[in-house]
Amino acid sequence: MVLRRQSLPWMCLPVWLALAGAVQAQTPPAPAAPDGAVERGRYVFQAAGCLGCHTDEKGGGAPLAGGRALVTPFGTFHTPNITPDPTHGIGRWSEEAFIRAFRQGEGADGKSLFPAFPYPSYTRIRDDDLRDLRAYLMAQPPVATPNRPHDLTPPFGWRFLLPVWQALYLEPGPLADDPARPPDWNRGRYLVEALGHCGECHTPRDWLGGPDTGRAYAGTAAGPDGDKVPNITPAKKGIGGWSESDIALFLEMGMLPDGDFAGGAMAEVIRNSTSRLTADDRRAIVVYLKSLPPMD
Amino acid sequence: MSISARFRRAVPTLVLASVVASLATAIPPAAAATPTPQEQVEAREKLMKTMGGGMKALTQFLKGEAGGPAEVKKAASDIAGVAAHDPMGVFPKGTALGVGDSAAKPALWDNWPKATGLWGDLKTASATLVQAADRGDKAAVAAATQAVGKVCQSCHEEFRQKKD
Repeated sequence: MVLRRQSLPWMCLPVWLALAGAVQAQTPPAPAAPDGAVERGRYVFQAAGCLGCHTDEKGGGAPLAGGRALVTPFGTFHTPNITPDPTHGIGRWSEEAFIRAFRQGEGADGKSLFPAFPYPSYTRIRDDDLRDLRAYLMAQPPVATPNRPHDLTPPFGWRFLLPVWQALYLEPGPLADDPARPPDWNRGRYLVEALGHCGECHTPRDWLGGPDTGRAYAGTAAGPDGDKVPNITPAKKGIGGWSESDIALFLEMGMLPDGDFAGGAMAEVIRNSTSRLTADDRRAIVVYLKSLPPMD
Repeated sequence: MSISARFRRAVPTLVLASVVASLATAIPPAAAATPTPQEQVEAREKLMKTMGGGMKALTQFLKGEAGGPAEVKKAASDIAGVAAHDPMGVFPKGTALGVGDSAAKPALWDNWPKATGLWGDLKTASATLVQAADRGDKAAVAAATQAVGKVCQSCHEEFRQKKD
């Protein structure tokens, strides 16, 4: 019950924040964020690809109001509302609570979050980017859509087991640059490993749903919606035959080197995320992917 | 019987023969011998490969890697040629996943208005592409290639199940 006790102060604090927010909403329209934070946050939001999972696009749900069903081998997750609605969204989440969700996989109520929220990757995001991301989310229109409980297969639905899972697979902390590598490689690694959370789909999982790090980015047959996820390492079975401009163009418009176009989940990632990055950031991703150990 | 009389008697036959001949050329050969669903899937994949080849040529040109105005024009007309097909013929009922190599999700037929809407977008975008290629306007070719690619992606995102 350590988690419960920890959660008490956080349950009181958000009331203050919500009140402060309400007062402010009547006066200036701009949210209480440092200059440029919302704009920078929008970029982080796109690079991290938040929109897709947190919107029930097919069901006609409002942006970020959650409710999308994610079918996985562990059961079906229903994504939560991340609009600033104080009751159903994250409107009462303090900045500290927000950062802790990403860094520690812990909700504002102190309970552990299911790693369908890809915090094993997001834990690597830097504090300043998380603050900007929160500023952007808080500037979005609140939507009062209630959250739906997940529908998971035992034992994966047992929330009390999550700290064990986290002890096994979560390495908390932002990703530090490697001074021995050039800046574009470091930027690419940050985009791939932290914001883009590419490994969540492209790295196979073991039987407990943890990443099989020995096969990082080697792809898997058990991807989202039953799709096969390709190997994206510079191997023969991966994208070793792709030129740098092939990869960059793929991330920009979804075209494969033979003129075919990506479908399914990756098409969505390209539409919501990689096509919206700067060309420099796409190139940085290419530099990092090309440096991965090839997996055949 | 005189030659002219013989000719007169033969006229109706000649007319009939030519009508039959013109009818035969008007109907595409695929429709003449009702193709199996597998053949329909193969025909669709051929069309998709043609478009893919066009897109590849266009992007190679735009990246400055290969090709010139002639290749761009050919690619544009190839893509527009595919787009000119009736979507009903490209995606006949009974050619979803499970039939031959089909990668088309059943959702394509469940959501037919959306699918035909996208095919309409493809027609519009490829017509713009052909005009841009004819003018030799590289910026316009780039924009139109992007627009065509967007249709490819939208349709695949929604309706294509990648199998390997």
